[in-house]
Amino acid sequence: MPDSQGRRIALGCEGSANKLGIGIIAHDASGAAHVLSNVRHTFVSPPGTGFLPKDTAHHHRSFFVRVAKQALRDAGVSPSALDCICFTRGPGMGGPLTSVAVGARTLSLLWGKPLVGVNHCVGHIEMGRAITGASNPVVLYVSGGNTQVIAYAEQRYRIFGETLDIAVGNCLDRFARTLEISNDPAPGYNIEQLAKQGGRVLLDLPYAVKGMDCSFSGILGRADELAAVMRSGGKGPDGEDFTPADLCFTLQETIFAMLVEITERAMAHVGSNQVLIVGGVGCNERLQDMMGKMAAERGGSVYATDERFCIDNGIMIAHAGLLAYETGFETALEESTCTQRFRTDEVFVKWRN
Amino acid sequence: MALKTTALENRPWGALVHLALFHDVTNSAFLHSQLLAKNPDYEYAFIDASSIFSEHQLLSAAYRAINAAATSALQTPNVHSEVILSLSPNNNIADAYRRWGISPRTKSLIVLKIIFHDSPSVPGPQPSAAEVWSTISQLVSGTPVDPFSDAAVRKETNWAAVRKYYKLNGVAALQNIADDAARQCQMERLALMGMALRGL
Amino acid sequence: MTVNPTTAGASEPQFPLPSILTNPASAPPLLIAQGAEGRLYKTTYLVPELACAVKYRPPKPYRHPLLDARLTKARLSSEAKVLDRCARDGVPVPALYAIDAAAGWMALEWIEGAPVRQGINEWLGARPETDTTPDEQVDQTPLVDLMRRIGTVMGALHRTGVVHGDLTTSNMMLRPWKDGHTGGGNGTVLDGDVVLIDFGLATQSQSDEDRAVDLYVLERAFASTHPRAEAHFEYVLEAYGKTFKKAPSVLVKLADVRMRGRKRSMLG
Repeated sequence: MPDSQGRRIALGCEGSANKLGIGIIAHDASGAAHVLSNVRHTFVSPPGTGFLPKDTAHHHRSFFVRVAKQALRDAGVSPSALDCICFTRGPGMGGPLTSVAVGARTLSLLWGKPLVGVNHCVGHIEMGRAITGASNPVVLYVSGGNTQVIAYAEQRYRIFGETLDIAVGNCLDRFARTLEISNDPAPGYNIEQLAKQGGRVLLDLPYAVKGMDCSFSGILGRADELAAVMRSGGKGPDGEDFTPADLCFTLQETIFAMLVEITERAMAHVGSNQVLIVGGVGCNERLQDMMGKMAAERGGSVYATDERFCIDNGIMIAHAGLLAYETGFETALEESTCTQRFRTDEVFVKWRN
Repeated sequence: MALKTTALENRPWGALVHLALFHDVTNSAFLHSQLLAKNPDYEYAFIDASSIFSEHQLLSAAYRAINAAATSALQTPNVHSEVILSLSPNNNIADAYRRWGISPRTKSLIVLKIIFHDSPSVPGPQPSAAEVWSTISQLVSGTPVDPFSDAAVRKETNWAAVRKYYKLNGVAALQNIADDAARQCQMERLALMGMALRGL
Repeated sequence: MTVNPTTAGASEPQFPLPSILTNPASAPPLLIAQGAEGRLYKTTYLVPELACAVKYRPPKPYRHPLLDARLTKARLSSEAKVLDRCARDGVPVPALYAIDAAAGWMALEWIEGAPVRQGINEWLGARPETDTTPDEQVDQTPLVDLMRRIGTVMGALHRTGVVHGDLTTSNMMLRPWKDGHTGGGNGTVLDGDVVLIDFGLATQSQSDEDRAVDLYVLERAFASTHPRAEAHFEYVLEAYGKTFKKAPSVLVKLADVRMRGRKRSMLG
């Protein structure tokens, strides 16, 4: 029910990986979106380790109430003002997803508000569109859990290209573990900083693009091998010395070139010259830079959001959820289960034509 | 003048390719020794005609050699030695000289000369075709064949050697072709591809 | 007559010619196609009478220059080797005339004729609007023949151990039959030798899965480009199944691949 100013307000809960995010969004009478609050708390595991589902779920459960209360406070709204409670149905890690869903269901029952289940990827896409104003770009969605090239057509976000094995963010996270780089604030961020110190040497890592798809486990395996060689004092295949910074630099240059290539293919296929990068890996400035060069060559441009929105957050769930809610979509309590696999193109994008 | 001059399509450095064919050559041993001595007056591609089956084969090798010269990618001392290597499908330079280059036993000889009319390293006016022919005809003791043509070249072709050098024996694409001309055409195609693939 | 391509205005400012094509020739190069991968030009090789296609992969400024050079060289080399393998086995493909992998170009035999896509569209479209004869009653022999020829060529390709990677009816040419062609023709726009082109995404593989996906891509391309001819695709598979020993197992795999569906929906 729109409030006195004609606004609809939604609260969104996200926790598909190690970031717990809760945010509140308002859509005004003209349909414009306003971020009222965006609170996040990240579960950081020690260097050399990754975050396990059990520990992550525990973290989300521990912080849910705190983060929810903060979100309401920051927004200056009371629960009664909310139109709906949105939550991430999937895809993602089972335990963490469910913990947050339990929280969302509780709020829904407590405050008597309808639930809206949201696809995590669609959340990223809709938030990216709203923040950047890019109307119909090809979307590169890259995070620890996902790597997809997406274009909108006939009420679906269609997947043009994707990883054939692991996500690019996962590749970066695991390599950070190999090098025992800190996970604070995020392993990918620290690889990016370390890479800036490299660049003297570009090693030869296997470049794996197959048509519109790409794969990362081969390159990760080779990078791990080279790291082991480096640690034991060995030299590169051409007899060169190299440092962790050189490895990070090489890894970034190679995997980002792969991502730009499959994005360009999709752009050529659909005849678009706009690119929107969403997902945690989208924060990377080198990736944005490379994508921007490619887009500029085609007479287009790249759009990206800052870390408030490209890293997993609750506001994107609130926004995408509210868009769906406004077309009459709701998720009944009995159907509010989570799912680890949830393809982006399974969602009927009724709010666009 | 039994010299054929070709301006190749998309030619770097204004290159012109001059070709002459001689039968019953009597001074092969001498010419060969001048090459080994790297005598600068003998900078030509002296090619044994028995390993050659077409003009395109020669021009293709010349084009590759010219492009190598123009992109600083020569693998041999000069563009003419590069032509010999470019006739081969593999990078073994000694084998290439032995199989396509002149030897004391050469009876039919093809002389190929490349003149760059637009090269940064060789400025100034270059010899004309008439001048090139004049020099060549004095160097080689043999009977010039006029005109230079595929038919003339093919009279000397040792097809068994060609099939061996370009690895064409038993190749599926050459089976079941009744017509001789058609089979030779297909062989040429494959041999040219082999030359193009050298080094990849 | 020699034309210097730069003064003849052959290239648009935003598509610089590869330097090899800035050299003198009897006619300026013609830009035939350009995609994300690179550009295709029509020019001549060695002599004015020998038409050729030059495929050019320009450098990508967004990539690290060393990576870019390595990639371009590797991709051109791979494509060249695949073409050689096919040619030696008698699979109808363009001949490779010359290549400079470091400079990013390769020169290929020019294939006369039109793409199969155009032939099929013309043949299907040739019946006037007023012709209400149902498809089943019109003589489909030329189309069926063509489908079989396509299936046979695909079988020859796969038997050689190559998978095309991007099979569509735009990547197959119908080259006019030479004089003395036996086996008759139908005197229709569907006559000609099927010649496969554009091996930029081809790989060397003998797995049933890769071969089945290759067939599936062509099947989907047919469905979206020539829906009225889709029913005849079975003749492609029928002919394919007879070409080599492992072909039937590929067809079995194809049923699997169809059921999984392509993970993405093609937009035609």
